[in-house]
Amino acid sequence: MSGPSDAARGAQATARSAVARTAQRRIALPNGIWGVALFAAGEATVFGALTASYFYLRFRATVWPPPGITAPDVLLPLALTGALVATTVPIFRAARAQRTRMAWGMIALAVLVQGGYLAVQVILFKRDLADFSPKDTSYGSIYFTLLAIHHAHVLLGILLEVSVLGRLLGGLTTYRVVAVRVVALYWYFVNAAAIVVVLTQVSPSL
Amino acid sequence: MPWMPRAPRPPLARMQSRRARPRALLVAGAGAAAVLLAGGCGGQSTLDTHSRQSQEIASLFWWMLVAAGIVLVGALGLLAVGYRRRGRPGLPVIEQTKQINMWLVVTFGILLPLVALVAVFVVANFTVASITDAPAQGSTAMTIEVVGHQWFWEIRYPGTPAVTANELHIPARTRINVVLRSSDVIHSFWVPELNRKVDMIPGYPNRTLLYADQPGVYRGQCAELCGVQHANMAMRVVAQKPARFRRWLAGEAHPQAPPATATQRAGAQAFAANGCSSCHTIRGTPAHGTVGPDLTHLESRQTLAALTIPNTPAELRRWIQSPQQVKPGNKMPSVALSDAALTALVAYLDAGR
Amino acid sequence: MATATTPAAQARVARLERIWKEPPGLVGWLTTTDHKRIGILYLFASLALFGAGGVEALLVRTQLAAPDQHVLGPEAYNQVFTMHGVTMIFLFVIPISTGAFGNYLLPLMIGARDMAFPRMNALSFWIFASSGVFMYAGLALGHGPDAGWFDYVPLASKQYSPDSGIDFYALGLIFNGIATTATAINFIVTIFKMRAPGMSLNRMPLFCYAFLAVSFALVFALPVLTLALVFLELDRRLGFHFYDAAQGGDPLLWQHLFWIFGHPEVYIIILPAFGIATSIIPTFVRRRMVAFPLVALAEILVAFIGFGVWVHHMFAVGLPTVTTIYFAAASLIIVIPSAIQLFAWITTIITGQPSFQTPLLWIIGFIIYFIIGGLTGIMFAAIPFDQQVTDTYFVVAHFHFVIFGAAVFPILGGLYYWFPKVTGRMYHERWGKASFWITFVGTFVTFFPMHILGLLGMPRRIYTYHRGLGWGTLNLMETIGSYFLALGLLIVAVNLGVSAFRGRRVGGDPWGGDTLEWATTSPPPAYNYAVIPTVSSAYAMWDTDDRATDAANLDRGERVLEQGHRTPASTALDADWDEVLDMPSGSWAPLLLALALAGVFVMLLLGHWVIACGFGALVGLVLLAWHSAEPQAG
Repeated sequence: MSGPSDAARGAQATARSAVARTAQRRIALPNGIWGVALFAAGEATVFGALTASYFYLRFRATVWPPPGITAPDVLLPLALTGALVATTVPIFRAARAQRTRMAWGMIALAVLVQGGYLAVQVILFKRDLADFSPKDTSYGSIYFTLLAIHHAHVLLGILLEVSVLGRLLGGLTTYRVVAVRVVALYWYFVNAAAIVVVLTQVSPSL
Repeated sequence: MPWMPRAPRPPLARMQSRRARPRALLVAGAGAAAVLLAGGCGGQSTLDTHSRQSQEIASLFWWMLVAAGIVLVGALGLLAVGYRRRGRPGLPVIEQTKQINMWLVVTFGILLPLVALVAVFVVANFTVASITDAPAQGSTAMTIEVVGHQWFWEIRYPGTPAVTANELHIPARTRINVVLRSSDVIHSFWVPELNRKVDMIPGYPNRTLLYADQPGVYRGQCAELCGVQHANMAMRVVAQKPARFRRWLAGEAHPQAPPATATQRAGAQAFAANGCSSCHTIRGTPAHGTVGPDLTHLESRQTLAALTIPNTPAELRRWIQSPQQVKPGNKMPSVALSDAALTALVAYLDAGR
Repeated sequence: MATATTPAAQARVARLERIWKEPPGLVGWLTTTDHKRIGILYLFASLALFGAGGVEALLVRTQLAAPDQHVLGPEAYNQVFTMHGVTMIFLFVIPISTGAFGNYLLPLMIGARDMAFPRMNALSFWIFASSGVFMYAGLALGHGPDAGWFDYVPLASKQYSPDSGIDFYALGLIFNGIATTATAINFIVTIFKMRAPGMSLNRMPLFCYAFLAVSFALVFALPVLTLALVFLELDRRLGFHFYDAAQGGDPLLWQHLFWIFGHPEVYIIILPAFGIATSIIPTFVRRRMVAFPLVALAEILVAFIGFGVWVHHMFAVGLPTVTTIYFAAASLIIVIPSAIQLFAWITTIITGQPSFQTPLLWIIGFIIYFIIGGLTGIMFAAIPFDQQVTDTYFVVAHFHFVIFGAAVFPILGGLYYWFPKVTGRMYHERWGKASFWITFVGTFVTFFPMHILGLLGMPRRIYTYHRGLGWGTLNLMETIGSYFLALGLLIVAVNLGVSAFRGRRVGGDPWGGDTLEWATTSPPPAYNYAVIPTVSSAYAMWDTDDRATDAANLDRGERVLEQGHRTPASTALDADWDEVLDMPSGSWAPLLLALALAGVFVMLLLGHWVIACGFGALVGLVLLAWHSAEPQAG
């Protein structure tokens, strides 16, 4: 059991070498990572229940989507999700970054792509709303709710990243490294959920 | 109180002697509790059984009760041992015999329960369940439809025009397939003396088996919270000798006879003029409402408003006059009627009495 | 407690006092991040709500005392019994067991100075308190929910419940769920990361295992309820069709989602009680728990298997036999871990030297009622019998034995047991015993006849019954019992209330307790322990040499962390020393965030979507302020 005093100082380390040293010495995951992992586990349960509800309603129905509603596009949603999932790479790089500029740049790149993804998705969402309403059939209800909950998670992720970007303007510290890793973990979860969501969304056309 | 099930039985049912129910051994064992439970206080006891179905469930319960009693007494006995050891500092703490303690827990906590649970599982969920389950399609002589409404039961006899409410007539000693539906919220169809309950769920037609050992009246009640008047949604199941049942059904299938007296004719007019017909059906007249119960042959029923009050002319009058006092929150509006119109309405609805 | 005997040690303690001091008075309570003060806030808030739920119970019992009564009208009756259920489950048992007992005791038992996320802990409390006010506002305005605590659709849909009562229920529970989820996450991280270095998982008290299991169950169960409630509100407010059979929706979807949450919920309610029982028994029988690893495993297993049994609430629905049989089997399997714990308690008691003081009496009561409630519970896995008596008073009897007899009795026993720890004074033993016996008898007289009524065919949730049904005598008996029961609870309250001021003063460890909370003073200081305790077994207080080490450490200044507002974090399994954490202290952010969130929910209720978004933005701003200060190690 090592003494308390060393490890304590790590929290405000700013020098690149100090940050790296603290990270190396660490033998357990910080509390923040545990917290967000559990949060993500709860949110994953939401998506699990959401897709389960989708397929429950689907298998109760004889025609899905109901008559009058065209089956969803396949290519565009899959391509968009591909772009979103690709942001896992810069996020991963940011989480491993030892230099402020590297972390900042990688997160900014991710925000750009994710922001674009969200913008296109919102346009598609509105177009779908013009086509059919969540108030007419259970298909519409679960379709729009599934997508809306997913988009809300993407939006929350972008907001988290933006706040971390602001924080990183003051340089990387051990505390901020944890913040970056927390956001990264959240995004791994959102990207994994995105795959489940999009496969559910396009399932009637497969 | 005529609306209370079984208290005064229909003449025919009264002549039937009750068949002794073969659960002497267990009842004897259960002693006084059994007397209280099955003593036929005129209710809807699950242990006052009148069919093989309810009988099997009841004996399942008695056996489980005996087993549960043994466990409870055993556990209390162990606790009593602990009580005897209280505050005696001289006694050795039995900590050295760790293995024995562990085996006590394993025996009582794992092995014994496993045996008991497997027994319960097999007997209940295979043997008894096969008796109480819905009848196989086409295996019964007759099908009846019951539709749950807030807060009454609509009863239909497919193949005949007969529709009635809150009184389910069945031929005794006949397996009957009952189709259960709901027109609004979830209700639960439950006649405990004949069989277990089955929910009535919008979009999910369910089925159950009804069988009565002998003619008699069995009370049923809605068992799933269905709104403000859930408490007053009960039903009488009238099991009749088959021939008598057929006569009843033929009568019920007839449309209402045209009003014979001047008062009744005035009543028919009042029925049409005051909007009654927008909610109620009387077969053979222009009244085709579907919100409330079908009132054809109302006079033949023992109760009003799903066993809330007895069906006497005076009570019928009170009901029409102030339905919201009798059964607060029910869907029947109070309609301001003159005395004469009330009298005429009652005479019209009770025409066949 | 390692008492400070040398001047050096006294100086260290004084420094810790200064560093951990919170502002005095109201400001201190509003901004506190101290898990003990938050625990006390939780305790009083949930006890107040227990009072409300109790009054509702008495109203229900009074209405049913005799046939054809009119104490309450049918509408009021439905609101009152619905609020009774919602209150007791969501606003009393869970908050008092996790919020009050867990919060106060968990960090103490694992030798930590606070929870892993102290401000989030405060946030949980303020959200919980706001959600309680939110739901009771509905009842006070005459718009209480009235579709029962499981709120089946279509009865709860807009068409059949146009009143806003169901909206109060749905939004209130979503709001409440945020608090509970945050608490659960906080507990898990605290248990895994904040244990005193040296307390590896196998040295952790069983109490903590129970709370670990509960927390995991909450993290995975609550989201399903939240989603079901979101669907419900979308149906009700925006005209969606999740549950509407006419438009392709399905009323059974609600039942599945609700019970996927609802059955784990049952174990969430009972597991903390198990934890309290495993704390009280060793102390009062003077020996360690029998079969420790089996009990720890059983606690975790119960929470886990609890997710696979939900359909046994739906046996009367008419599902395919294959489905019901599977769930009946799962429901029987879950009996095993419960039986293991039960016989572990009993074996521990009979192989020790039991001293039947008030706390142990409550545990004995708990064991007896848990056996009764458990045995009737097993009967429900016999599908035909379940279909006969479900939704009757038989099931009401069953779950009151489980929830009141088995979950609340240990809570009351725990109140007595830890009362000297929290107040530094002893309760009145003779009145304590009297309160137990009155409550014990009251509980039996109130709930036991319900079994018989259920067998006699009395459905639950009926506001009245006719005279000729023969249910009057037993109902009257129950009502008398319920007042007797209320008297017992009143004596508990008066005993503890008076003793808090007049009771005999006691030291840190009046019972010779087995777990770490007895190592510190009563009441514990803000920093809990002047020395982070040394631990080498799950019965840390009985390892006297470790306590001597603590005193030596205080003299030497080792494991004191006196340079700041600090506590150690350790590794998840072995509890090796990982790092020293700067703990946040006194913050307005949790209270403000909870108020902003309350604004969101009120506006959602009123249908002002734009203003709700405005409050949402406010939530974001508070969050920014929350994270404005980064930890400053000195």
